[in-house]
Amino acid sequence: MSILVLVLMPAVLSACLLVRSVRVHATQLLVAVAGIVSVLAVSEAVHADSPRMLDGFVRVDATSRLFLAVVDPIFFGVCLYVWNRVATAPVLQAGMTRFVALALWFLSAVNAVLVANHLLVAWIALETTTLAAAPLIVRPRMRASRQASWRYLLFSSVGLGLALLGFMCIARGTQPDPAAPSFFVDGALPLAAAAPNLWHRLGLALLLLGLGTKLGLAPMYSWLPEAYDEAPPAVTALLAAVQFNCALVVLLRVLQCYRSNEPKLVAAELVAMGIVSMLVSTFSLIATRNLKRLLAYASINHAGVIAIGLGIGKTASYGLLLYVLSNAFIKAVLFLTAGKIKAHYRTKDTRRISGLIKDLPYSGVFLMVGSFALLGFPPFGSFFGEVLILSALVSSGRMLVFALFCLLITMSFVATGRTIFPMIWGEAEEQHSWPRQTFLSASPKIAFLVALVVLGLYVPPVVGDLIRQVAVSVEGR
Amino acid sequence: MNPLLIALLAVLLGPLFVGTWRTSLWGLSMQGLLMAWLALRLGPHPSTPSAWLTLIDLALLRGVAAPTALYQVLRARNVPARHDAIPPNLLSWTLALGSVLVAFNFAQVLVPAPAMEQSIVSVAATGLMLGFLVLATQSATFGQMIAVLRIENAIALFELSGEGHAQSVAIQVGQMLVVAASIVLYRWYLNTVDDPDAPLGDDASEVAL
Repeated sequence: MSILVLVLMPAVLSACLLVRSVRVHATQLLVAVAGIVSVLAVSEAVHADSPRMLDGFVRVDATSRLFLAVVDPIFFGVCLYVWNRVATAPVLQAGMTRFVALALWFLSAVNAVLVANHLLVAWIALETTTLAAAPLIVRPRMRASRQASWRYLLFSSVGLGLALLGFMCIARGTQPDPAAPSFFVDGALPLAAAAPNLWHRLGLALLLLGLGTKLGLAPMYSWLPEAYDEAPPAVTALLAAVQFNCALVVLLRVLQCYRSNEPKLVAAELVAMGIVSMLVSTFSLIATRNLKRLLAYASINHAGVIAIGLGIGKTASYGLLLYVLSNAFIKAVLFLTAGKIKAHYRTKDTRRISGLIKDLPYSGVFLMVGSFALLGFPPFGSFFGEVLILSALVSSGRMLVFALFCLLITMSFVATGRTIFPMIWGEAEEQHSWPRQTFLSASPKIAFLVALVVLGLYVPPVVGDLIRQVAVSVEGR
Repeated sequence: MNPLLIALLAVLLGPLFVGTWRTSLWGLSMQGLLMAWLALRLGPHPSTPSAWLTLIDLALLRGVAAPTALYQVLRARNVPARHDAIPPNLLSWTLALGSVLVAFNFAQVLVPAPAMEQSIVSVAATGLMLGFLVLATQSATFGQMIAVLRIENAIALFELSGEGHAQSVAIQVGQMLVVAASIVLYRWYLNTVDDPDAPLGDDASEVAL
């Protein structure tokens, strides 16, 4: 029952915003709904897998429980940030009804993606997250944000269209089989068990290309830096930490369904997309001087690492999941911090920001710790995730990929560090006086940092078990 | 080849050689209506909810609602009639015709037996290729919208060719709602993205969430 509440409650309550008296309290409504959903989602993590519901279209398995427990609390944290922003900048109150309505639809669709037991239902829900998020990117008086928002919708529509075409090709390839096609996650026919044919290969290639577009993987990544840069920071955090994981869950489901008997299916394609994504993002990291774009390119880099991890499968799966979970928190912390920094310095140019640790102590610490995690320093989960993926690369004998991976990760490390570290520890060029940041305003980011450190130092048994279960399903056993 | 598919091929190609936005919208509309007609001819008598939903999706949403929504915006803004779906030069036209040949050859590889299914896959592949060609050559919002709608129509045509792959009604409704919401958003973007009268703010002083 609580599963249906996760999906339906945000959507129903967004309709309540039609009532004028509710609109006055739109921000509080958003925080309350996100809080309740977050508690329900986390409580789902400790339950067993649920039976099928709604004709089998809904079912909560380990993948759902793991990602619900991560994504919904992050959404709640972002809502707390929004609440604080509106409280400190009352001018933002004007657009809150629209924001809250779309954010609640977004939350509803996100949860639908995570609990969907049918690939096409997951596809519809993922498309709905896009339709809800696209207008959120728009800042009313910024023409560039409107263009970025349109490009986001354009790429997403084409990418998800290709993914739909991929599903159809797979269905076509299994048509002679009377038991097929089935897009139910727990009832899909593994492709290797059926006679592999051209339709299957074409379908999987289109699915990879389409879902890769949503993940920001090369070759269809160019929407990402623009959208992440132009969107308001809270929306960027939602796109990077929440929607990214939804698209990834759909990809995990596809791999879970179709390569259970053939772990090497599309492995080479995933590794190639990952390496190319890391390559283009590394050179962009070297060139950019815009803080949000830098974080956006780092996101493409991470998507590349994740694609490589998925390509290797097997032993990399646990590390991959650790990396994915850590990344969700890293992106939430860093994009929200970038918003705070931009709001104070009124620039995103990294050369004009320095001495953050003295100037804005909270933001300085968040940027510092977040950057360490971003760059894969110990003791964060991203470090252990990367190490496990690298060791899986070595054990699988892909030494060329290993060498390229190490080279690109080192280059991106240097490029990111030389831009961000002077911002944190450099001498402040101008003296600014800021209103004091309260603990309450910083609390969501502190919670994300705590989660990051916990994932690195001590993975709670419940989370560890969930990660292992999901890893097994990704491995295709 | 079925006369309906020949007509569909003509409305895919025609607007590429006649450079007005009205022709582009007319082409989109005809694609939707012809696909609905084809669905009527291919499937059983539309007595099931699923068959009716397919017809509503193709005829009303893709054939009428999408072109009308865009037409109203362009008409209200008094946009000049000229609009080239692809650059009007020999290279683009050669690429367009080459795409048709490639698509037909590709369909023959996918569906070796020459039958109705092969013809539909050929035309769907042509629609997809031409949609991507339009998308690759357009920088304006309207042209990109036309390209995406062409691609989505091609996917819908491909779906028609899948025998026995009946979706559940719930999924069909979901897909239709996604298409309807996309059309509403496209109309909104067409109104706002290129609007020269929209107020401009300063990114540095902008207060954002």
